[in-house]
Amino acid sequence: MKSVYIHIPFCNDICTYCDFCKMYYNCDLANKYLISLNNEIASNYKGELIETLYIGGGTPSSLSIMQLKKLFTIINIFNLSQLKEFTFECNVDSLDYDKLKLLYDNGVNRLSVGIQTFNNDILKVLNRKHTKNDIINIYNIARSIGFNNINLDLIYGIQDIEVLNDDLNNLIKLNPEHISCYSLCINPNTKMYIDNKKQINEDLDYKMYSIIKKRLKEYNHYEISNYCKKGYESKHNLVYWNNERYYGFGLSACGYINNYRYDNTKNMNEYNKGNYIREKYIISNEENIKYEIMLNLRKKYGINKREFYDKHNINIINYNNISNLINENKLIENENNVYISERWKYKMNSILIKII
Amino acid sequence: MNINNIRNFSIIAHIDHGKSTLADRILEYAGNISERDKKDQILDSMDLERERGITIKLNAVQLKYNYNNEEYIFHLIDTPGHVDFSYEVSRSLAACEGAILVVDATQGIEAQTLANVRLALDNNLVIIPVINKIDLPNSDVNSVKRELIDTFGFNDEEILLVSAKTGQGIDKLLEEIIIKIPSPKITDDRLQALIFDSIYDSYKGIILLIRVVNGNIKIGDTIKMMANNSTYEVIELGVYTPISKSKDVLTSGEVGYLCAQIKKIDDIVVGDTITHNKLSAVEPLIGYKKMKPMVFCGLYPIDSKDFEDLREALEKLKLNDSALSYEPETSKALGFGFRCGFLGLLHMDIIEERIEREFNINLIATSPSVIYDVYLTDGSNINVENPTKLPDRQMISRIEEPYIYTNIFVPSDFIGSVMELCQNKRGNYISMDYIDDKRVNIHYEIPLSEIVYDFFDKLKSYTKGYASFDYDIIGYKANDLVKMDILINGESVDALSIIVHKDFAYKRGKIIVENLKEIIPRQLFEVPIQAVIGSKVLARADIKAMRKDVIAKCYGGDITRKRKLLEKQKEGKKRMKTVGSVEIPQEAFLSILSMDERK
Repeated sequence: MKSVYIHIPFCNDICTYCDFCKMYYNCDLANKYLISLNNEIASNYKGELIETLYIGGGTPSSLSIMQLKKLFTIINIFNLSQLKEFTFECNVDSLDYDKLKLLYDNGVNRLSVGIQTFNNDILKVLNRKHTKNDIINIYNIARSIGFNNINLDLIYGIQDIEVLNDDLNNLIKLNPEHISCYSLCINPNTKMYIDNKKQINEDLDYKMYSIIKKRLKEYNHYEISNYCKKGYESKHNLVYWNNERYYGFGLSACGYINNYRYDNTKNMNEYNKGNYIREKYIISNEENIKYEIMLNLRKKYGINKREFYDKHNINIINYNNISNLINENKLIENENNVYISERWKYKMNSILIKII
Repeated sequence: MNINNIRNFSIIAHIDHGKSTLADRILEYAGNISERDKKDQILDSMDLERERGITIKLNAVQLKYNYNNEEYIFHLIDTPGHVDFSYEVSRSLAACEGAILVVDATQGIEAQTLANVRLALDNNLVIIPVINKIDLPNSDVNSVKRELIDTFGFNDEEILLVSAKTGQGIDKLLEEIIIKIPSPKITDDRLQALIFDSIYDSYKGIILLIRVVNGNIKIGDTIKMMANNSTYEVIELGVYTPISKSKDVLTSGEVGYLCAQIKKIDDIVVGDTITHNKLSAVEPLIGYKKMKPMVFCGLYPIDSKDFEDLREALEKLKLNDSALSYEPETSKALGFGFRCGFLGLLHMDIIEERIEREFNINLIATSPSVIYDVYLTDGSNINVENPTKLPDRQMISRIEEPYIYTNIFVPSDFIGSVMELCQNKRGNYISMDYIDDKRVNIHYEIPLSEIVYDFFDKLKSYTKGYASFDYDIIGYKANDLVKMDILINGESVDALSIIVHKDFAYKRGKIIVENLKEIIPRQLFEVPIQAVIGSKVLARADIKAMRKDVIAKCYGGDITRKRKLLEKQKEGKKRMKTVGSVEIPQEAFLSILSMDERK
């Protein structure tokens, strides 16, 4: 156990595609929430050394300066002497110099900024309140303060190919250490879904994915939707993909401790009453192997054969269909790893369901 | 038991005209039901019946009713209302002397009212006409009366007004049953009992529902089935009240059940006559006319391990549904299954649902077909009920298909829509009867094969649900028919072959391939779908190769949810059939039914 995720469910504006657990920012509500969050952490954290900390949302940067300060005192419950990565999620319009400086001074060493696109018209469709210039300004301020590990989120499938290429030009020019790219997914309970907006067809989706992959060739495509410069993989997210344990605190947060995974409640009243956990899933050894395969294969180098054997006492090559899939060149085996071949990466579900 | 105090009757009605509610009310007034046993629509005992609100299997109940200080025994024999089950109606009617004809005061005469009255008259029954639901604000008693008088020739005075819901008029109805319906007549002293239904019970074996026409039957008697001379010793006798109540003897005129540890399903023929082994009756009673199945489809277990279970399920269902037929068949696409014959589409639907529900077998049903009469060039003639079995075109001199004659009851506003529909279904207009100034009965001759597709649904939507429909099979006519095959990835999928009229083949083919293109998910490679006649391609659509099948986002908060998603995808795959390396969902096999393009 070396990782903690903390969920801040507030946003100043609701994006038309977002299906995460979120609500409009309200000062009193947020104050109350921080008290509950403090209680949850105090009653469940067992004092482990924490190496990665991730504050996500919602929009954590929607909190006021006072509330952010409060949040940082809460975080001091953790034993952070070995903290390696401290990520803070933000969006452009809720950031300014003072907030960024506060984050920096309190140990945040990785920013994750949801920019989505540089196209002002499309930003409006997404109900993002920032513009292309705002992105560039905030990015430069963050740099000037000293942030040297910045992730930018890009959405594709909302713009046409020309705009996508523009976005990629702008992105490459900013030269962030890390880029996450997701095709727009229109989920139920989002404004776009209610407005009956249609998702792009999978041919165009794949084409855009291929363009992005090609344009970001200087980056390491280390997970299906994630690219980074050498050495800048997200340590926190790798905990998930390596099927390691982590705490999740806050409304709707999920965690994996001991032999179970858990989902916290999405109901603020319940949460404030101290009924944090909504559901627990006991993970048997057999289930754990399936989770591990599903998560590991998201990574460029997939499953480490040795580590897999040490953990489960099973040779991964002998597991279910793995060797057949290697013969079919859908999986690649090298000295240390088994991973999904480049051609099959974007169709990996069809491989996973043959294994797990 | 004084035979003069026995009354055997059925209730006949169009669907939803309130037959089951009326039966409940009669049961209540005759005092048989305690509050505890009271469930709505007691005679509809199958879950499926209660859910769909229709009666499928007949049921017989004995009631005691006091009238003028005398005790009368009523046997109320339930009948199904739907056209597909007219066979069952005639079975129940054969065990009766009278019938209550129920017509909804808000609807008037409908297609099945007509059909049921005809069956009752065929069986020489006394009919008591009843207008039901008179308590409803939109009831129109006078015009419904007019319809009954004009259509069937009843007198104004003999038509009873009833509300089964409130109980209004029920006493009068019970009185009429006693006065008008004759008691059963004894014609012989030797035992003759008609088997009008049978039920399988895992403890008691096969239970027979019988009407004793002549003689008596006692526990311990050795009885003989007249159709095949098999003999049994009677172990249990009784009546349903509606709870089963055992008795030592059933006398002539009575309706009840009989158990004799019968295990061999083949020994029992519904419609057969039971007599004593010694002192046998000379002749059996007139049985039932054997109903011929008219609609056929293949039923296949999704899991091939279930094949034997499916056979057993069909065997048990056939026990009290002799109109069901089945024969093993194999399909390249679907493996081992059965070619099953049904009286009509609803019958098919119900059987499929009962197999899935009562026997827990997941099924794939192929598209329904009728029996074609195929004349070969060598002068011989064969019946084809499975399009795959149609011989080569060179060997065929002509193909004839069954035709029906329709009774479509509809408000006159919809005449145009109904005619348009019938025309599209290759119908020939025959005539139109005006029931009154607002409603007509439209007669067409239409190929049965057109009805088995989407005729019912279409009729409903074309008439905003106002039409009622019934039909008679009238014989065969030659048409320019051809077999159309569907190739998926170059391989003919036998379960998708259909027989179509040549002039309609192009349109059907185009719709089918387009529908299949929507239903079959993208595969790892491009898959062409073609509709062909012989080697001629009529229509083609290509399913593009799959490009994306990935969970894009998977972080700490998504993991268990994404794992479930994969599990679901895996389960979905299991329910598909693989034909020539293409995975086809079940839905595809029925999509061929639809004449519309999917939205």
